Amino acid sequence: MRAYWKLTQAQLILFARNRTVIFFSLVFPILLMMALGTFLGGGGDVRLKGVVIDQDGTVDSREAVAKLTALRSAGLTVASDETQARDALKRGDLQLVVMIPKSFEEQLRIGKAKVHVLYDEKSQTVSQIGVQLIEGVVDALSKERTGYAPVVGVEASPVQSLGLKYIDFLVPGIVAMMIMSSNLNGVAGQIASWRERGVLRRMQSTTLRARTFIAAQITARLILNGSQALIVLLLGAFAFGTRVSGSWALVVMYVILGTLVFMSIGFIIAGLAKTPESAGPIAGFVSFPLLFLGNVFFPISSMPELLQPVVKALPITHLAHAMREVMNVGATLGDLWLDTVWLIGWLIVAFVIASMTFKWE
Amino acid sequence: MHSTWSRRCNACGYEQQYEGAWRCAMQQRTQEVGAEAHRDAVIDVHELVKRYGDVPAVRGVSFHVSRGEIFGLLGPNGAGKTTTMEMIEGLRIPDGGRAIVAGHDTKTALHRVKAVIGVQLQSTSLFDLLTVREITELYASFYANPVPILPLLESMILTDKLDSRVKSLSGGQKQRLAIALALVNDPLVVFLDEPTTGLDPQARRTLWDIVLRLKERGKTIILSTHYMDEAHVLCDRICLMDKGTIIALDTPDQLIARLEADRAVVFRVSEQLRGEEDKFVAFREACAQMEGVQTVSVHGDVFSLYTSNVQRSLIDVIQCTERCGIVVDQLSTRSATLEDVFIRMTGRSLREQ
Ligand SMILES: Nc1ncnc2c1ncn2[C@@H]1O[C@H](COP(=O)(O)OP(=O)(O)OP(=O)(O)O)[C@@H](O)[C@H]1O
Ligand SMILES: [Mg+2]
Repeated sequence: MRAYWKLTQAQLILFARNRTVIFFSLVFPILLMMALGTFLGGGGDVRLKGVVIDQDGTVDSREAVAKLTALRSAGLTVASDETQARDALKRGDLQLVVMIPKSFEEQLRIGKAKVHVLYDEKSQTVSQIGVQLIEGVVDALSKERTGYAPVVGVEASPVQSLGLKYIDFLVPGIVAMMIMSSNLNGVAGQIASWRERGVLRRMQSTTLRARTFIAAQITARLILNGSQALIVLLLGAFAFGTRVSGSWALVVMYVILGTLVFMSIGFIIAGLAKTPESAGPIAGFVSFPLLFLGNVFFPISSMPELLQPVVKALPITHLAHAMREVMNVGATLGDLWLDTVWLIGWLIVAFVIASMTFKWE
Repeated sequence: MHSTWSRRCNACGYEQQYEGAWRCAMQQRTQEVGAEAHRDAVIDVHELVKRYGDVPAVRGVSFHVSRGEIFGLLGPNGAGKTTTMEMIEGLRIPDGGRAIVAGHDTKTALHRVKAVIGVQLQSTSLFDLLTVREITELYASFYANPVPILPLLESMILTDKLDSRVKSLSGGQKQRLAIALALVNDPLVVFLDEPTTGLDPQARRTLWDIVLRLKERGKTIILSTHYMDEAHVLCDRICLMDKGTIIALDTPDQLIARLEADRAVVFRVSEQLRGEEDKFVAFREACAQMEGVQTVSVHGDVFSLYTSNVQRSLIDVIQCTERCGIVVDQLSTRSATLEDVFIRMTGRSLREQ
């Protein structure tokens, strides 16, 4: 037990005294967050994104849909599920939901047709532009039908959204990124170099048990990652007003799960790397694309279709997604079972491979 | 480099084949000494074998080490010293044979073995960013009953450096720290693998003192080195190793006495003679035939004549070279050393390459 505490303590001292560790695990992510948050976080996205839902399904309603989607600048696509669309609107993934209600065709005949537009009240400006665009289309449609007697109106209703901005997307992503890179690069580089330099053999010649060593490594890294996450979350809260809507216990759970997954992958890289010099680059090679593909800075939906299946299998994608849902939407474990299962699956597979490939010398 | 040998074993009069194993009295005695030591052995090594791929690194090494003894493993690079030591420490798994430390077999009771040994590895680095105190406390925590660390570090002359980082220590200080760490569990047996390699003469002396004080405290020490002077000063018995086998095992004095040629006459011949192959060979033969000369060893243009009658040999050398018109240079005599024993047994010097 004393060995466990001493080793944990020693590892924490090593973290604190190693400038590269401090820089890459804390300073760099914070700078990145500050920079991206300041330049992109406040402004928001002026590109409109919305969906049209055709609840009528008649010739006239289809024509209206075609007209609406033809309008490039409104960025409307066709959707079918109203609940899903409302949800996306609430989260800020969409700014507009246009609904062509049932009996649109009938109403049109008697000159009373209406199109419902739901918009995000938090992003007023953007939504106003959107509503106006749609009004324009509807107006044209109606004039075309009746020769300038307006038969179709627009009924716009605001929807209370969570008011999420890019920074809300970014902060959980940054936490996930820190967990990934500090473990992947840290474990791989450190273990490979300790092995090369005989540090591990020296410990192997004492009565220290391997399990004690590994337990201490895990503890120290959990403490490191936990404090990193806390610092970033607090900074996000103070500088940009981000917050954790869901339970802190879940945040902690995903920090732990993420740490274990990426530590195991780090051990695999350490086991496979021939030299400590190659462990670092391999870890970098693995983690760098993950940053861009893995839901950290950009939403998965912005990835090319071809890469989607790959992206959806990555552990970082699920870690970032779970963090984001807990923080932004207050999701519960029940909502996040899929991400959780993916992460646990990764943990089991990576752990098994790590224990097969690991060598002390 | 090439070297030449007289054909007769001067230790026992056995006619030796130039290549191949020596089975003369010197090795006979090696085995007897081994048997004597058996009774209070802390370490009992039997027919240890280690191969790396197809290459044998240690081929059947057996010896016993008694309690309180400083046991030296002496041999050139690649002789198998480190491999032998690390098999006893349980860090490498032998391909054959067994090692028993304080009654525990390294195969079946490794954890018990580890509890009673202290290890300083040939190439190890410690956590550079920890301080001397922190790392010593860390290693102490690995054992059930560690010694108090302040007196330990004081005895290793590291009190001034308690709060310095390992990174900032000098080579000698690092080596002393490595030895301190090998002592945190108050071990029965201490393994020191080339503790003085790469140190300056003064740091080496300091380390010798430390090793001798450990012996006074009753520790059994297994030490490897390729410095013969160090082996001579420190070791109670020396195990001479070459190419994975033991070529001699005895006390330093006995090893040298076995040469029966207690002095060496050393000189350099002129470059030009080396060009004349026939004359060179004839001169070498003549040297070997001189009275009292047991062995002639030639390294490049340096001749070493091991002789039991140094005066006679000097005169012979001078007369012979005068007669043949050979110019000699840097003529000197010295006592035979462990190095000479090694050269005698293997035909190579301890630190050639
Ligand atoms: N891990 C290894 N893999 C392959 N070969 C090895 C390994 N370790 C040692 N050897 C080989 O085994 C032989 C004995 O090596 P060893 O390190 O035991 O020699 P040594 O006497 O300690 O030499 P030195 O004085 O250089 O330390 C050498 O030929 C070496 O190349
Ligand atoms: Mg060695």
